[in-house]
Amino acid sequence: MTLIIEPDFGTPAVTPSGDAASDATVTIDGHQVTVPVGSSVLRAAKEAGIDIPKLCATDSLKAFGSCRLCVVEIEGAKGTPASCTSLCSDGMVVSTRSDAVDQVRKGVMELYLSDHPTDCPGCARGNCEIQSAAATVGVAEVRYGLGGKSHVEEHADESNPYFTYDPSACIVCSRCVRACNDIQGTFALTIDGRGFDSRITPGGTDFLSSECVSCGACVQACPTDALTEKSIISLGMPTRTVITTCAYCGVGCNFKAEVKDELGAGGTVTSTVVRMMPWKDGKANEGHSCVKGRFAYGYANHDDRQLEPMVRDTIDDEWRVVSWDEAIAKVAEGFTAIQAEHGVGAIGGISSSRCTDEEVYVVQKMVRAAFRNNNVDTCARVCHSPTGYGLSQTFGTSAGTQNFASVEQCDVMLVIGANPPDAHPVFASRMKQQHRRGARVIVADPRAIDLVRSPHVEASYHLPVRPGGNVALINAMAHVIVTEGLHDEAFLAQRCEDVTAYLDFIRDPQHAPEAVEEEIGVPADDLRAAARMYAAGPNSAIYYGLGVTEHSQGSTMVMGLANLAMLCGMLGREGVGINPLRGQNNVQGSCDMGSFPHEFPGYRHVSIDAVRGIYEDLWGLPLDPRPGLRIPNMFDSAIAGSFRGLYVQGEDIAQSDPNLNHVRAALTAMDLVVVQDLFLNETARFAHVFLPGTTFLEKDGTFINAERRINRVRPVMPSRVGKDEWQVVCEIARAMGYEMSYDHPSQIMDEIASTTPTFAGVSFDRLDAEGSLQWPVNDAAPNGTPTMHIGEFVRGKGRLIPTQYVPTTERANRRFPLLLTTGRILSQYNVGAQTRRTDNTAWHPQDLLEIHPSDAELRGITSGDVVELTSRVGTTRMTAVVLDRMQPGVVYTTFHHPESGANVITTENSDWATNCPEYKVTAVEVTVVTEAARAEHARDAGLGADAETVGATS
Amino acid sequence: MTGATMPGGKAIPAEPHPAVSLRLGGDIVRQFEHWPDQDAAAEEIATHIKKFWEPRMRHELMAHVRLGDTAMPRLLAMAAAHLVDGDYDHVEAQAPSGG
Repeated sequence: MTLIIEPDFGTPAVTPSGDAASDATVTIDGHQVTVPVGSSVLRAAKEAGIDIPKLCATDSLKAFGSCRLCVVEIEGAKGTPASCTSLCSDGMVVSTRSDAVDQVRKGVMELYLSDHPTDCPGCARGNCEIQSAAATVGVAEVRYGLGGKSHVEEHADESNPYFTYDPSACIVCSRCVRACNDIQGTFALTIDGRGFDSRITPGGTDFLSSECVSCGACVQACPTDALTEKSIISLGMPTRTVITTCAYCGVGCNFKAEVKDELGAGGTVTSTVVRMMPWKDGKANEGHSCVKGRFAYGYANHDDRQLEPMVRDTIDDEWRVVSWDEAIAKVAEGFTAIQAEHGVGAIGGISSSRCTDEEVYVVQKMVRAAFRNNNVDTCARVCHSPTGYGLSQTFGTSAGTQNFASVEQCDVMLVIGANPPDAHPVFASRMKQQHRRGARVIVADPRAIDLVRSPHVEASYHLPVRPGGNVALINAMAHVIVTEGLHDEAFLAQRCEDVTAYLDFIRDPQHAPEAVEEEIGVPADDLRAAARMYAAGPNSAIYYGLGVTEHSQGSTMVMGLANLAMLCGMLGREGVGINPLRGQNNVQGSCDMGSFPHEFPGYRHVSIDAVRGIYEDLWGLPLDPRPGLRIPNMFDSAIAGSFRGLYVQGEDIAQSDPNLNHVRAALTAMDLVVVQDLFLNETARFAHVFLPGTTFLEKDGTFINAERRINRVRPVMPSRVGKDEWQVVCEIARAMGYEMSYDHPSQIMDEIASTTPTFAGVSFDRLDAEGSLQWPVNDAAPNGTPTMHIGEFVRGKGRLIPTQYVPTTERANRRFPLLLTTGRILSQYNVGAQTRRTDNTAWHPQDLLEIHPSDAELRGITSGDVVELTSRVGTTRMTAVVLDRMQPGVVYTTFHHPESGANVITTENSDWATNCPEYKVTAVEVTVVTEAARAEHARDAGLGADAETVGATS
Repeated sequence: MTGATMPGGKAIPAEPHPAVSLRLGGDIVRQFEHWPDQDAAAEEIATHIKKFWEPRMRHELMAHVRLGDTAMPRLLAMAAAHLVDGDYDHVEAQAPSGG
């Protein structure tokens, strides 16, 4: 195994047009090379195997032409132009070496070396391109001496927990500035000063205090040691690479895990991850990353990791460490005893949307074959289950219609109930790039998220829809489009059904923007203009998140989005579509793997004899044809006494699920709760058996991201708990009397492929060969399916479904006059189990309650006050921050810290079709608490005495 | 349920125990109350219940029907009758749903 060094071609690739006539054949140092027109000479030379020295150029950034090191001679052109900014033309003849070229390069290199530390640690460890460039250029002496201004008197900025900025090593090539601007889109960096006084600055402050989002793009772009990972400084350079996939959000970024192996006593090898570098060939991220995937992997080795199985008789007993055999025996005997006394349906399992497809598959197999029921569910229940329902009803398949690259063809982005810069940051960067290329943005969100207005981003319209008003909003947009004759009649006639009934429905004046303006809080004029913009396209795409699904009409709203796209013909090609931004790394996969109480893998109902027969034949036993319990129903049945045993894999339901008092009551009511996880989480407080789990660094399998892309997850280190999670599940099944075993997770994928039509062409070998594949992958689509519903929908014709607005029963009232909605923040992830155990706590040490100035003033609340947040089901305390990006009547918080208790106050309300909880609408009141209570809150939250100031920012 | 305690002894608030089937059934009914053809709406609801509800939830619903529970919405009672008669969309009850 070796360290993978990806070649740097100097300037970005130009997409081939497919027309050979538009290619250019150039001759470089006597070698002919053919490249797409528009390619730089620098890139063409590299493709011909000729390395031209460079410092300011890198293939992730547009050419800048500032370092003057890559100069060449071009026949017929004057002087020595930069090869990075010179574009190839057919017949061009280039010389990369000549006396003139060498003279220019040496002079430039001498100037750089005159201002570079002679004891550069980067050069010493091989992490500095200055050294390699100087060697290539052949500089023997520096005529200007080595005593130039090298900023050695300036202190390095070490404020960021993950990287340092050392001005003494900086050559002011501006790669970092350009990376922050052009790739990430944050524009946090600039160059201050001129000449030798120039230095990079994150806006006149230090990195941690600045607008830097710590994505690492600047560090990755830096050719010297100026911007360097602290892990490189402390651990040294890595020695091997493992290509794998991030375990955080649904973007599914591919990384090079760069590892250092050290031989210890007794011949044992200890593998340490030195850094996670984004992989350029990762189709989802194309060489970019965010703070979580790039830097927040330290939880894998955190002291809180539980590495041994533990058991206890009651939840009030202390845990006892036991052997795997004893723990698995306790699980099997306990579940078997419960079933013997209370019936087959008295136990069930919840699979993890952070585990691999293979691990999820064996969990649902264990429940169906060993538990002999269908009481299996996954966390999609509480996030995107309405996506599955709504898109199945309308299109025939329960997943997004496009790939991420589709955004590059998009003219209008309708972003609704999603906050990509925080929750899907790498994809948000691509959205912002397209916006800078001219695409317009419409944001429908109660809050003024960064996509409304931030550096170089301005939405054409912000529709501040009040929580609960989504369906009325989308119906109003459709009403405008239809009544103004903006709908695509040809598309509807050719590709859709139930058209007349839907058009009659939506024309009704009850759906007009003016009729719903007061109810939903969106000015009618803006709504009409936004609708017209969406309809006009030419390519309009919808991107949405949990602000759409986590409502009592979540499924209805998804159908409403599908209606809108069909009305305007925005399906079946690139640049358009319905794009659910799935939150977790493998929530798509866990759905695809049949972790549902009513469906087998591939979304096939358990009652279908032919489908059930496939599994009965393969698994060797009859299977239950009746739907099982969903997660919320498991809790209800537990309280009722008929559900008494639960296996929970990688899912902290006692923190993440709503109406936590109800969840806790349910868990307490059970006889046996088994938790398989990395840490002793909130759910483990109610558990009788704890089985240690593995992180993504220890897993071998696949994740499926929001664009249906099946990515490999490869082990960087062996399992720290002695087993793989899929092995543990198989052992539980065997201990319960069902023989289930595999030798390798690739065999699990082979079984998935042999039984699931949409995965028929998938295997580990194919994924290793091709990097990734988007399902369906089968005979009809042997290379996968980037864009769905081309020509026809999966169900044949798209179905237009009337979506009547039915207000939620959760309404603001005199007692609870505000509406609480929830969301995520960039630096933390979900319940924070992983990110709270990394240095990401530097940015978000506690969940805050955001409140509008008018609501705050009415209640005597200022930023930093501890407030009591009360709903009809519970009360919790949080620290308030007054922000005018909120709207009056709406408050907002995140749920990353268990101390915040955000889900103590969310209610039992749920989507009518899927029981996805209505997290986004909770009627609350907020009251300020006393100074003494504030101190108590700070102690409980683990904050220091200085945790005083919470600044009000806009 | 009453008497539940957290680990460490803190009491979990007791809660009323409304029939889950009536609560969830009521949520579904509210989405179909506007249908002009209430019998067609009842068939849709019956199909949904058949497709997604675990047997004990259906049994609880039927128990309330047998009791003549006046808290049960009329449309839900109509849907229950459709279920008893097997009068629901058998194709839709097995169609993919993904959620």
